Amino acid sequence: MLASIAQSLENIGFLMDFADSVLVYPIVLSIHLTDIALFGGMILATNLRLLGLTFKSVSITEMITTLRLWKRLGGTVQICTGLLLATSEATKYAPNPYFWAKMIVLGLIGVHALIFRPTVYNNTEELDKSPVIPAYVKVAAILSLFLWTAMFTMGRLIAYWE
Amino acid sequence: MLLLQNAIVDALNNTEWAFPLAECVHIGGFAVGVGSIALVDFRMLNLALRKESTARILRYTEPWTVGALVFVLFSGLMLFISQVHIYVINQVFPWKMYVLAAAVIYNFTIHRKVANMDQSSQAARNTVAIISLLLWVAVVFGGIFTGFLE
Repeated sequence: MLASIAQSLENIGFLMDFADSVLVYPIVLSIHLTDIALFGGMILATNLRLLGLTFKSVSITEMITTLRLWKRLGGTVQICTGLLLATSEATKYAPNPYFWAKMIVLGLIGVHALIFRPTVYNNTEELDKSPVIPAYVKVAAILSLFLWTAMFTMGRLIAYWE
Repeated sequence: MLLLQNAIVDALNNTEWAFPLAECVHIGGFAVGVGSIALVDFRMLNLALRKESTARILRYTEPWTVGALVFVLFSGLMLFISQVHIYVINQVFPWKMYVLAAAVIYNFTIHRKVANMDQSSQAARNTVAIISLLLWVAVVFGGIFTGFLE
């Protein structure tokens, strides 16, 4: 079932051209990696601010709201380039446990957002008024750092499974 | 030196997880290093964190940039010496090293100086930030293409 879906995905015309191209595949992979640096750096910075480790003179509101648009843009680029990379080699990805582990981590990142968005990421003005950063905010930041580290580690390990 | 190199080569080539671990440190490191520099660039371009000065953003990010750079260079050196014979004949790898050297020098000279200046024209700040982003993007592309082209 999964194998046949993977096979038909891979046979889509433009994905075949894409996988066969010497230059396009590494270019898309480079964009995927460059985007990790730009977008990942912003996630790290936000979490360090939530932990109170640095950017102390920048309010949590400023940190989260001014980076939000760029993170969304970065996330969109990640998903688009990731989809191209995975679907063009769908038959290799379908049985790869690291690929599915990465997708589970991606799902957990979604769950993290659902849980913490109301109390942390959409509640920044209240947090800025608070004299100390509440413990649940730090928990959110540490979980986010852990999940994103797992994300890029699983991504790299996809290449090692045979 | 040769003995040390052999020991590292053995560890990376004969331990199943050592090479991928070095690669993960390399990727995590450049994400932190390039990402922290990009925050300064975004500030210089007035694209984010406008309520704080660029000099202050630089002060916050610089320890992370330097720390990450140490991890990236160290893991990169490990990857290099484990497969020297591949890298020395690679057409892309020397270019990656030239651009990397230029990016590092640029970052701690011109980029740093302009980020710390109170008065500099927006045009100058934009130019400095865009050159910085382009240099680092080129280094990442160089890394991927080293793996794909021989």
